Amino acid sequence: MALYRYIERDTFVHRLHPTVKVIALFVMFWSVYWVDNPLALLPLGFLLLFAAFVTGSGGNFYALRWLFIILIISTTLMWMATYQPGPAAIHVPKVAIRRASIIFGLGKGLKLAELLAASVLFISTTKVEEFTVGLAKLRVPYRVGFAISLSFRLAPLFVDSALTIVDAQCLRGYEFGTGGLIERLRRYTTVSIPVFMGALRKANNMAMALEARGFGRLSRPTTYIEYPFLASDLMAFAALFVIGLLYFLIYWTGYGAVVA
Amino acid sequence: MNGLTAMWRNTRMVVLCSISAALYAAVLIPFKAVPFIPGVTELRPANAIPVVCSFLFGPAGAWGSAIGNTIGDFFGGASPADIFGFFANLAYGWIPYKVWEVISHGDAPISRSPRAIAKFVFTCLAATVLCADLVGWGENLLALRPFAALGNVIILNNMLAALILSPFILIAVYPRVRQGRLLYSDAMPEIKRRPMALRWLGLAMLVGGEAVAWVLGNLLSIGWWTPAFLPAWMNAAPYDKSVAVIVSPFMFLAIAGMVLL
Repeated sequence: MALYRYIERDTFVHRLHPTVKVIALFVMFWSVYWVDNPLALLPLGFLLLFAAFVTGSGGNFYALRWLFIILIISTTLMWMATYQPGPAAIHVPKVAIRRASIIFGLGKGLKLAELLAASVLFISTTKVEEFTVGLAKLRVPYRVGFAISLSFRLAPLFVDSALTIVDAQCLRGYEFGTGGLIERLRRYTTVSIPVFMGALRKANNMAMALEARGFGRLSRPTTYIEYPFLASDLMAFAALFVIGLLYFLIYWTGYGAVVA
Repeated sequence: MNGLTAMWRNTRMVVLCSISAALYAAVLIPFKAVPFIPGVTELRPANAIPVVCSFLFGPAGAWGSAIGNTIGDFFGGASPADIFGFFANLAYGWIPYKVWEVISHGDAPISRSPRAIAKFVFTCLAATVLCADLVGWGENLLALRPFAALGNVIILNNMLAALILSPFILIAVYPRVRQGRLLYSDAMPEIKRRPMALRWLGLAMLVGGEAVAWVLGNLLSIGWWTPAFLPAWMNAAPYDKSVAVIVSPFMFLAIAGMVLL
């Protein structure tokens, strides 16, 4: 089972330096944070969609289409219930729907959808080792970066062994899909325990193998793959800076806010 | 917090941290497709893993919980609030074994006596409430979602997994891990502990702070309480400012308590 959604392509975005990609993710978070108005959020949404098209990540976006839709609808409704300024625009019995509530709720929904889109784009264009290098360049300690990358690599192995155990239990007549919520949850203990024990069996050997290879001897070990910082990275960095600044200015001038 | 930093010098603990994170992410990601409350959170049987890993691997389980949740978040939409999610899950993996050390008087977490079960429930609740508070508080501070939307769902979700799944996993796994000398107390015997009186004070601060923060966060975020002593512009939706002013001191009290454990 493929947990990591990296898509192998040779595009401008794929070739960017890992640090620039990590910074790009932060800039997206930064830009989206400052504005609530859906109109102000739309350009960033189109930019993310364009990047998805260019990088060939459309498949990942399509796979998560229901998550996007549910996220926008539920967040919009949640904030409509909380944010109710000004007079009601639509009168339904016992419910007063305000124009500002709809705009504010939709803005929040779009905001979360764009954050999801940014993270999907990031994992579609960044390999695990690039992510680790990006973190290391941002001064995250080597051992922490290593633990993160090892976790990314081990997770699919554990999922595979869990699926094998589920199949084996089903062959023995065990039914995972019947019963109430609590009953179903309890049935997963028969899967968790063998996966857990299998993982622990690896732990000792893995620790010994790492130490035999000199793990942790240097706090900043060298890497086999070098990622040079190119002119295209500088251009991308400048573009990201402009986007971040632009969105801060939209907030500063008040265009990003929802006015009741 | 000695153990949290010291564990990174121990290769075996680094591996156990990765294993905890991978196990957590491996169970978390497939359930991303089963929403508990659509758009807010999904069904998370994986939330039993941090509790189990906390009792087994201590600080490695705590970091594993934080890293595993972050990996899972990449598949369900990362956001600036994930920084709070990271620390919330660190607390969720850190508190169980620390609280258990204070209240258990040396018992293993697999004892089936009523007193031990009550202590186990208390331990899980203490970890769960701070985790829920941190996420709800963080998301409300960033005005992404109201405290009440997440604060309560996380408690329900975490407690379901912690009470239904983790005891069974622990009963099966704990004796074997102890026999294999992979428990945190065996892997890192050098971890120093604070005086017991200070740890009890920490527990009192943790429980008091998180309980008050949870009540106030709920009341403020849905506008049920608009404090008269705050100016009107602070008492307006999305209530990020009132939550920041009123809930934050209790959050810091709970975090200070956690550090003292």
